[in-house]
Amino acid sequence: MIQEIADALVQSWRNFASAFVLFVPRLVAATIIFFGGFVIALIVRRAIQRALAWMNFDRLTLRSGASEMLRMAEMPPADVLIAKIVFWIVWLGFIVSAVDTLQLAPFQGLVEEFFRFVPRFLVALFVLSIGFLMANFLWRATLLASVNAGLPAARLLSGALRVLVIAVGVVMALEQVGLATGVVLAAFAITFGALMLGLAIAFGLGGREAAKSLIEEQLRAKRERESDAAPHL
Amino acid sequence: METESTLSDALLRQLIAVGQCDVMVGLPTLNNAATILDVVRAVHISFTRDLTRLRTVMISSDGGSTDGTPDLIRNATFTDADRVQTSHPLRTLHRVLAPYHGLPGKHTALRTIFAAAELTQAKAVAVIDPAGPSTTPERVTELILPLTRGEVEFLAPRYRRHPRDGMLITQLVRPLVRALYAVALDEPLGSEFSCSGRFASHCLEKEIWSRESARFAIDLWLRTEAAAERFPMGQIWRPLPSSPASRATLREVVHQVVIAIIESLRSHESFWRNANAVSELRSWGTDAVAAPDPQPWDYHALAEQARRDIGEIAPLLEDVLDPGLFVRVMENVTGAGPCLDDELWVRTVYGFATAIQHGRAALEHMADMFVPLYMWRAAAFMMETETEPPEAVQARLDALCDVFQRLKPVLVASWSTNQV
Repeated sequence: MIQEIADALVQSWRNFASAFVLFVPRLVAATIIFFGGFVIALIVRRAIQRALAWMNFDRLTLRSGASEMLRMAEMPPADVLIAKIVFWIVWLGFIVSAVDTLQLAPFQGLVEEFFRFVPRFLVALFVLSIGFLMANFLWRATLLASVNAGLPAARLLSGALRVLVIAVGVVMALEQVGLATGVVLAAFAITFGALMLGLAIAFGLGGREAAKSLIEEQLRAKRERESDAAPHL
Repeated sequence: METESTLSDALLRQLIAVGQCDVMVGLPTLNNAATILDVVRAVHISFTRDLTRLRTVMISSDGGSTDGTPDLIRNATFTDADRVQTSHPLRTLHRVLAPYHGLPGKHTALRTIFAAAELTQAKAVAVIDPAGPSTTPERVTELILPLTRGEVEFLAPRYRRHPRDGMLITQLVRPLVRALYAVALDEPLGSEFSCSGRFASHCLEKEIWSRESARFAIDLWLRTEAAAERFPMGQIWRPLPSSPASRATLREVVHQVVIAIIESLRSHESFWRNANAVSELRSWGTDAVAAPDPQPWDYHALAEQARRDIGEIAPLLEDVLDPGLFVRVMENVTGAGPCLDDELWVRTVYGFATAIQHGRAALEHMADMFVPLYMWRAAAFMMETETEPPEAVQARLDALCDVFQRLKPVLVASWSTNQV
């Protein structure tokens, strides 16, 4: 009996020792990957920030209106934000690798999942950026065109278009990362559809005469304006 | 060679048949059936009566007229009475029709004329407005003679205006060109001019022709290029055109002028940054002395429109203008009546130029944003000078030129440092 207990203890110790011998190098490797990854991510962040500064990225973000949006959202400037995102992607990659090195059963396959997610995340960020760029360009162009055409509520019209384009960009980005795809798409479709239907009904029923007189006024004003540059040249 | 790539085979054959010439008169035509015969007749009489010893060619560079303009030119015949000639021409009179290809616009027509002048080794090139109702043989001749005598290499028209007339010229283009290019050019946007064959060949080597903006910018660019490259320049008195050449709206014209100015500033940056003392230009022709009354227009309505528009685009202006400047402009716009003093106007113009240079918004958008500010300034100036005699208004215009000149260092400093 005592012998059996002793054997069991010995066996248990041997198992622990062999597991420990196997685990410690993994732990050391994981620790090295973890901290090494942190250092590499820091270096990458610095490099990205310098590259963006060299490319005058802040000017691009200013022109696109992204700077203003980030400022309103109390977020850091776009170059800092991008550098931070890259830092976290790189470091998370190393963290996931470190965890995978430990070969813990619950975390098996984490690396594959992570590396499947990263491209989708990057594409989503890209889509979002393009959405912001387009939204601001269209906002500016619509506002100026509306003012030039003498349309009433030019700012409302251009602002609505800007929000719409940003909303489309956000929905596309969320769909890309696979976040509550169905819910987001359904919500967007319902909102957008309702908005358009409401506008169509309002315009068709309530604003027919107003639209007619507006168009007539525009055409008349255009005719009157046709040679209004004469005294200025 | 630039010439050969610009001219079509058919035109090349026509020009080879012409051979060398001394004077080329170019007509950049586009649907000018109403006036073209009178203009062609004036050119014809000028050739046969005044330039008999010179080899002359008239070339019509047509942009695709649909009203039969080329046919009218081709079939035009003139009687002896039309010619009013004192002596018979010693040379053959050539008339070349050159439908041009490529980007539509006056710049392509001018490029064709310049290329034809280079090929025929013309010593003088005169470009006449084919819509000009006041074109007479005398005016064609006097545009050419200073060139053939070698007295000048670029001759621009100048008009006797009422100082309250031509606000876009007097409030923006003239003082800006005077301050930046240091040349006292009265009409930087005129459609007629004459130049030496050497200047035409020089221009052909530049890359302006292929740019989309050249469509609006070419008239201003030619004048500023002559100034920047130090070609001897002069001005010639012409009667004030009774109506503008285009039927463009004020917004379109201001938009085009802004693009033209920026195109020139970018082309000649190294020159205007260092140009200082303004040089007066020699004048030819006869000064009408008495300026016609300005065309009346409703500047009260323009002011209201400008106020509304500036209010609408305020968020865009805030993005592109220096914060201090934006606040001052908005204070003026939200005040009781239209007001924008000289210094603030000049700082606004320079601020826009800098913002465009630094890419704070697309050039087209910036040009659109500038329109209501010009409208506001024009209305403000008209109201301020409503009861003033022409001499007092002219003094104000001279003072404005001085402010543009005085504040030029602000633009020079900010052009490359992203600050106004």
